[in-house]
Amino acid sequence: MASNISGNAYALTILSPIKNSFTDDEVSYADTVRDRLQSWNSEPNSPMALVPQTYLCRYFVLDDVYTESLPGASAIDTLIDLLPFVPDSLRRCYWPKEDHLNSSYLVFSCNFHCGPNADLDGYLRNMWNTISDKIKEVWGFCHGFDGVDNADKFIDYMKKCQFEATLFFVGSNDDPLEEQLKALYLKQEFSKFAVSNQGLDTATLRANFKGFIQRVAPANLTAPTWTAGGYRIDKLVKRG
Amino acid sequence: MSNIAGKAYAMNVITPIRSYLTWVNKLIFWAAVKVPGVLTGLVTLSLIHYARWVIIPKDKFPHLDPSQPKENLNYNYMLFFSNFNGSWDQYVDSFTFAIPGGLDLFWKWNIRYSKSVALTPFHDYIRYNQLETIHYYNAYPLAASNDVKSAKTVKSSLIQFEKDTQTVSDEEFLKLYNGLLRGLQHDLGDMYPTPIVTMSAYQVERRQKWHEGKLAEAGENHGK
Repeated sequence: MASNISGNAYALTILSPIKNSFTDDEVSYADTVRDRLQSWNSEPNSPMALVPQTYLCRYFVLDDVYTESLPGASAIDTLIDLLPFVPDSLRRCYWPKEDHLNSSYLVFSCNFHCGPNADLDGYLRNMWNTISDKIKEVWGFCHGFDGVDNADKFIDYMKKCQFEATLFFVGSNDDPLEEQLKALYLKQEFSKFAVSNQGLDTATLRANFKGFIQRVAPANLTAPTWTAGGYRIDKLVKRG
Repeated sequence: MSNIAGKAYAMNVITPIRSYLTWVNKLIFWAAVKVPGVLTGLVTLSLIHYARWVIIPKDKFPHLDPSQPKENLNYNYMLFFSNFNGSWDQYVDSFTFAIPGGLDLFWKWNIRYSKSVALTPFHDYIRYNQLETIHYYNAYPLAASNDVKSAKTVKSSLIQFEKDTQTVSDEEFLKLYNGLLRGLQHDLGDMYPTPIVTMSAYQVERRQKWHEGKLAEAGENHGK
């Protein structure tokens, strides 16, 4: 599936069919999945923050497809409208047909760092190992998920639901997430340093810079760095 | 529902495409990747983190269980997923202004595609076919795509500068330091949260303030 890969970045597209069933409270499974995903929004951070190498990802429920039902406005449509002897059946065959899905689908679309070996299995294994409870919370309402109780079965299941991208565009970069987070941390800290160390004599500037480099440790990806998914400026930095 | 995670917006668009013309679309996408320069216009849209197009054939929707009803569709479906910075209008308009021709090539064979020019019918088309995200996660909500790219430059420059200035004189250090700042002047800059990072983050903050009894102080105790 080469078109899912651009450099070291991977585009994972999953559509999992949701059972056409209802809970004891008479809520459809599709709405239950929707409610559970919605409840993730009220947690201090997304469960996906725990899954290594996730750049960005999203979940939604596809209930149905859209039908392009606007009456025709092309030259042919107008011509046919002007010709009263054209039967309706002919007129309608020019119009878009109406499509509806027979199942709702849980859609999971994810961009992650896959490395030079395009390691999808490794990513999904980490996902299962870190948030299997959350996975069961939503995928538990999907067809074919019964019996998925370990990482290998989860990988097999996800691959059955996977679609290949026809075009994947990386507008950012495909570095490992810890590289990206460290770089962002350095950008933030060095911007502050540059502003607060203006106009100093060279010896002081040099001493301050030495202290700065020791504090930010540019080559150390573990710490200090930004936490994945951190959105509060006062809690953003992970220290060793 | 949350189409926004920090500075990123998640757009999902699904559009029907005639099955007998899908191969043309796939050929265009293939050429876009293989022929150098075709994606140049897309590259100029530096507000994009990641974007993708996926075509689902009408008979290829996953069927995983005998109890699951099979789909009976007339058309194939093209899904477009994008992660971008800025507002919906800015994004859609910048597509129109930067790569109107490319945009039309990608969507040309989709039913009732309005073309990217004029803007209003194109807005209507995208809005009509857009699906709302329920949960959206961003590993760096404070950073735009340009921040991620410039941060990489800052990191490598900083490491190189430290290496180069280990044994130089103070005078040389200052010269190189000024050169470093000059070289990075387009890459530096503080990042801060947007007024509301996400609706969920906003709710979490509100809840925390509520528990700490600070909502009343902040004048946000409506409905208390």
